[in-house]
Amino acid sequence: MARTAALLRGLSLATLVGWSAAGSPSSPAAGTVDAGLAIPARDDEIVEQLPAHVGDAGQRRAARAAERAQRAQLQAHPDELGLALQAARDALARGRRHGDPRELGAVQAVLAPWWKLAQPPPEVRLMRATVHQSQHEFQAALVDLDALLALPALTLPVRAQAELTRAGVQQVLGHLAEAEAGCRRLAGAAFIALGDGARRNALACLAELASLQGRDTAAAAALARLANAPSADAPGDAPGWLQLMRAELAQRRGDPAAGPLFVAALQSEPDVYTLCAYADWLLDAGRPREVLALLAGHEAADPVLLRIALAERAAYGARDARMLRDTRLLGERFDAALLRGDRSHGREQSRYELDLRRDPAAALRLAQANWRVQHEPADAVALVRAAHAAGRDAAADDVWRFLRETGGRDARLAAGGAAAAAFLPAPTAARWGLSMNGSAS
Amino acid sequence: MIRRLLAALALIALAGPAAAHKASDAYVTLRVAGAEISARLDIALRDLDRDLDLDANADDRLSWREVRTRWSDIAALARAGLVPIADGAACTPATPGNTAGAEAPPVLATHSDGRYAVVRLSWRCAAAVQRLDADYRLFARTDPTHRGIVRYARKDGPLQLVVLGPGAGPVRLHLPGLPAVATPVVPDTATAMAAATPQTLAASPAFAPAQATHATQAGASSGLAAFGGFVREGVHHILIGYDHILFLLSLLLPSVWQRRCEADHATGRMRTRWAPATDGRRAFAGVLKVVTAFTLAHSITLALSVFDVVDPPSRWIESTIAGSVVLAALNNVWPLIAEARWKLTFAFGLVHGFGFASALKDAGLAQGDLVSPLLGFNLGVEIGQLCIVGLVLPLAWSSRATRAYRGAFAGGSMAIAGIAALWLVQRAFDLSLIAG
Repeated sequence: MARTAALLRGLSLATLVGWSAAGSPSSPAAGTVDAGLAIPARDDEIVEQLPAHVGDAGQRRAARAAERAQRAQLQAHPDELGLALQAARDALARGRRHGDPRELGAVQAVLAPWWKLAQPPPEVRLMRATVHQSQHEFQAALVDLDALLALPALTLPVRAQAELTRAGVQQVLGHLAEAEAGCRRLAGAAFIALGDGARRNALACLAELASLQGRDTAAAAALARLANAPSADAPGDAPGWLQLMRAELAQRRGDPAAGPLFVAALQSEPDVYTLCAYADWLLDAGRPREVLALLAGHEAADPVLLRIALAERAAYGARDARMLRDTRLLGERFDAALLRGDRSHGREQSRYELDLRRDPAAALRLAQANWRVQHEPADAVALVRAAHAAGRDAAADDVWRFLRETGGRDARLAAGGAAAAAFLPAPTAARWGLSMNGSAS
Repeated sequence: MIRRLLAALALIALAGPAAAHKASDAYVTLRVAGAEISARLDIALRDLDRDLDLDANADDRLSWREVRTRWSDIAALARAGLVPIADGAACTPATPGNTAGAEAPPVLATHSDGRYAVVRLSWRCAAAVQRLDADYRLFARTDPTHRGIVRYARKDGPLQLVVLGPGAGPVRLHLPGLPAVATPVVPDTATAMAAATPQTLAASPAFAPAQATHATQAGASSGLAAFGGFVREGVHHILIGYDHILFLLSLLLPSVWQRRCEADHATGRMRTRWAPATDGRRAFAGVLKVVTAFTLAHSITLALSVFDVVDPPSRWIESTIAGSVVLAALNNVWPLIAEARWKLTFAFGLVHGFGFASALKDAGLAQGDLVSPLLGFNLGVEIGQLCIVGLVLPLAWSSRATRAYRGAFAGGSMAIAGIAALWLVQRAFDLSLIAG
């Protein structure tokens, strides 16, 4: 049955009609069009929404002009490192705001003259590690970061950034002690010249790692102190990332204060990650309609689309046409990622299989594969939920062992098991409820 | 999370995006016929805008004019992005690009992450193509993470898959029917993996789209399998569609009874009431009429809707379907139409057909080859429906004279009406009260 589901999903408009069935390259007669293709009727019809630039019309125009100028300049001087690095930073910033992996390709493109060197300039190497990290190629990232940190003559900012990025990678991999050691070095006297901001990062990093190892009360207090302390580098409100950290910690502790903290984080950094984090919290709190309002307009990002479909399901039921359409789109995007050999979506795809397609066995396979690579709290939640839903709690034993060893705790793991049990659907619904049926079944 | 903890340093703009958008892919279908090679490239407008600055008025949106008027640039970029090499020699472009008004007009296709420009290219090679290599260069200079997802075949043969990274040099495409000689020249591991093992991909569920493609483009046997899939889908749809089942049940429950006039001893007046049917043949004929009416009615609207002749809003349809179940059930308790239930069935069957259509359409089957999915799906619905009838009718017939059946009839009808009323409310007002 699952196979037929896949077959039918494959027969969807975009993949079959929009591409392959109409893909016979024999040219159609003039004026006629293959089924599924479209020639817009009007010249002023909007056919694609591009990633939005910030600001009013004038500012957006200026930003776009600046990008064009930068590209032109780079084309004229592709070997100019400073220019290339600035373009790479800009691309990463755009990528983070819109959650678009194309920008990682853009980074790689502008740094092409140095990208494949065994010993590229340190800034390039740092950038390369960041790109690898973003592509979930953690080992490749660590190779570059370790090499960087072994260099005796490294500028302080690059060293600090390398330490921090390395700590981040180690944390994702579940090497919490390693990560903590890095943050402790960063908080040390060697980096004092970098000032307040860097120190705040180091302390927040330490607090986060403490919280992941069972010292969450102390960690929450430390993060609150950091958020409330005036900072010379960043006057005004606490930065978004700090509020996000506090929000995520509150979420792990089952503390309702998480909600306002997510909102505060969003106010200063309304990026895809933060949006999705808040959406998850709202979904757990049974407030799907707020999720839909929050995420409207950001559908281009896969994690956003996943949350929208989950919220539609919660708000409108298992046969809502919008939810079914979004589920299908997600399936197509996951398929496309698999075709290009990208397996970095495991956590999200597991949730898609579990909560949208209601296929606990598939969800479990994905969550297990993901857990072999990543050990973040959300990875643990994904595996525990999928294992429970599949009736194979023992498959999540490794999560509990990891939490015992590190001392980690997560309120969602207690609640998540129960929730998984509550929704575990009848077998037919599990296989069929979503992939294809319309609102009418 | 620490990996996002980079802001204050302002050295690197921040950690990049975790898995987010769909990455940049182009979809290529390439066919070889003798010395002719033809290809269709679907290229994301987003990618084209980056390289060609399509957004002339810089409003972060692409209008059709902005795309259409740059079509020759788009075609030229596509032309430069894919270079076939036949038996070691380049081939000659057979059409001078695709400009508006020429043989292949500017066309867009919709993929899961947005609109794509569809460019058709063809080449003429020196002789019938024996060995084919593809030099894929699209976006090599602007996005090395871009991939070309290439399906290729000789003439009408089954499509094979290869995923190409840009700027990796020529990669051998193993045309079926010829001995596979060389190993592809491949750039990086991801590409190498995909190029070397199309069969592994074929075994994965992700390849289902391509398999489905084969089913429609090649072999009758796989077409049959696809048809079977639609039949199963139809059966499944009616079996899990509680509203359709309850509608049918409401109509079937009274079929083993008949209306009979008798004197009310308390009041001395005549009144009609339900009594067990005595004439089995007549009861069966009644069932047949109801089932046929339902089948005819929903087939009509299913076809009308799938062929886009009429397309009523789904909220109305869903609400009306729920309403039809309420009325059918209430009609059992307070009969307005007792004997000619098939008329009621026909009227509401029309609405249920629209409901089936939205299921078929949501599965994305409503375009392209319409007839086979439609027939298969409808056949499946009928089979599922007959299963329900076959299950319910014998039971109902054998127990029609019992008190239990009378109780189940009245109670069941009221319960069905109640459930359907709840559906009606939640569908009409977009609420979430109960499942379904």
